[in-house]
Parts: sequence; C-alpha cells; structure tokens
Amino acid sequence: MDKRERAKKAEDRKRRVCYRYFANLVRPQERWLNRMAAEGWRLTGTGKLKYEFEPCAPGSYEYRAEFVGQLSSHKSREYRTFLEEMGYDVFYKNVNLNWSVGKVAWRPYGQGAGQIATSPGSYNKEIMLVGRQAGDGPFELHSTWEDKAGYAGTLGRAWLSAAVILLMAAAGLAMSAGQVTLAGGVLGGLGVCFLVQAGLYQREAESCREEAQIEEQEGRR
Amino acid sequence: MRDHVKSGALTEVTFFILLSLYRPRHGYAVMQFIEEQTRGRLVLGAGSLYGALNTLNRKGWIEPAGEDDDRRKQYRITDTGRQIAAGELARLRALADTAAAIMEECTETDTEKEALYG
Repeated sequence: MDKRERAKKAEDRKRRVCYRYFANLVRPQERWLNRMAAEGWRLTGTGKLKYEFEPCAPGSYEYRAEFVGQLSSHKSREYRTFLEEMGYDVFYKNVNLNWSVGKVAWRPYGQGAGQIATSPGSYNKEIMLVGRQAGDGPFELHSTWEDKAGYAGTLGRAWLSAAVILLMAAAGLAMSAGQVTLAGGVLGGLGVCFLVQAGLYQREAESCREEAQIEEQEGRR
Repeated sequence: MRDHVKSGALTEVTFFILLSLYRPRHGYAVMQFIEEQTRGRLVLGAGSLYGALNTLNRKGWIEPAGEDDDRRKQYRITDTGRQIAAGELARLRALADTAAAIMEECTETDTEKEALYG
C-alpha cells in the first residue's frame, strides 16, 4: 500500500456514512441532523437512504430541513441557488424510495393548479437540507407569521394528498376483495395517520395566520 | 405578502426590502441591510425573503439588476416601487402624528384628573 492509498484510507476513516429513511418527516430529520452536528458531524452529501458526514467542531453547524415538493423543477433550482448564494450548504433529499427514471407525477398540493413532478426533474428532490455555520444569529428559513402559515399549509396539503391516495387504495382493496384484508388494513391505518398529520399542520397554519393578524414576526415585543 | 389592499399599508418587511433596493443588492445583502437597520430586531429568514423578492418582482416594484462579482443575482427598486415606498413613508408620518396627538391628549387628561382628584 503506497503513501497515497494510506492517506486516502485515513481520510475515509474520518468520514461517516449513515443510512436513515425519514420519508416526509421533515422535523425529525432536521432534529437528527442537528444532533449529528452537535456531535461534530457536518453533512457533505446525500443519497436515497444515505447521509455522508465529515468531522467538524461540535455544534459548529446547524440545519434546517424544508419541504419543497410543491415547487416546479425550475423554481426549486432557483430557490436552491438563492440559498447557496446566502452561503448555505444545500442538499436534496427524497421523500419516496422508488428508483425511477421517466416518471411523471401530478402533485395536487403544488402551486396553482398543482405541479407536475418528473424524474429527472423535481421527483425525488422533495426536501432540501440546508446547513450553515452556527452562531450567526437565529437560523430560520421562514421568519414571518404569514410565511410560516403558508409553509405549514403546504405541508398539511402534502400529507392530505398522501392520506387520500392511501385511503382510496385501502377502499379499493376492500371493495375488490369483499372484505378488509391485511394489506387494506395497513394502508387504511397509514392513511388515517397521515390524515392526523395533515390536521396538525393545518392547525399550525391556522394558529400562525392568527398571529399574523396581530404582528408580523415572532419576538417583536 | 400581507400588504393591506385598501389603505396601501405595507408590511414592515416589504417596506424594508424596498428601502434596501434603492441600491442594487443581492439576497444576502438585503438580509444584512434589514438586520443592520433594525439593529437585529427584524431578522428575515431566507425562505421568507425569497418569497417576498419573487412577489415584489412579479408586482413590478423591484426588478433584476444583473449579477455582482460573485455572480449573485441582484435586484433594484423600480419607479413604481419608489412611488409605493414614498406613499408608505407619508402614511407612516400621518400615523405617527395621529398616535402622538392621541397619546398627548390622554396624558393631558390624566394630569388634569390627578390635579382635580389627587
């Protein structure tokens, strides 16, 4: 083994690769990344299930995970460029786990009359992981109550869309089999869980809208 | 963007973004300008700023102004934006005058009551 190979192996040992699947759970994913950063790991890359880290000073980075599935491919790229111009690290992350090329999907929760997601394109790039060096004031991507309400509403609609699809699939299975099957029950159960999640985000959006009537941004007093 | 339709009242964020773009600035510079001018009271999130810039651009109050040396997209205020900002300044002055008059009047009334009833 020559010197260069040894150096590469030593470099690789410093890196850390974790495999996790958070689906559309944006906040748990954000909390996990911040825990990793607190332990001294800075995100350097992502794959379908993979998160790659390199060592950094503990607590020197902080992360926000943002759902961007409602944006068109063009808007998503534009937003990513905007964040990178701010000096942030930005990585895409997938909500779904299917390996697809040439896929076209309609997202009813997208802007306007919904958005078409394609692969390649915005499909499997539904979440942005945004990181920056800590200690430069509060790190919030959405700072005004109105914007927070809009974002929570988008998340609520995304969960609702998924819930409707799951519940329809469960109903379809039950009708074709003439009884509730195990698969139908699982799909239905998941659908109900998604529905609850949608309700929680809608409630959050409503609460932010109420705050927006009184003041523009949190912590003004 | 919650700007009041009938009165023409702007949100503080909108007004500050317009003010920041009297000189061409990119997103990060706009964010810094607002933070500095408000001494850290108003810290705008990048997502909120991105949405606000898009909305103002669509309304024709600001426009793209090329790129800086680091190839960052810059914006500047348009003539329409200047008119809107001037209108907001006039509205705020009128509001401040009204508020000052009401508060002064109430303070005087309270002082009179104290003199009468102790």
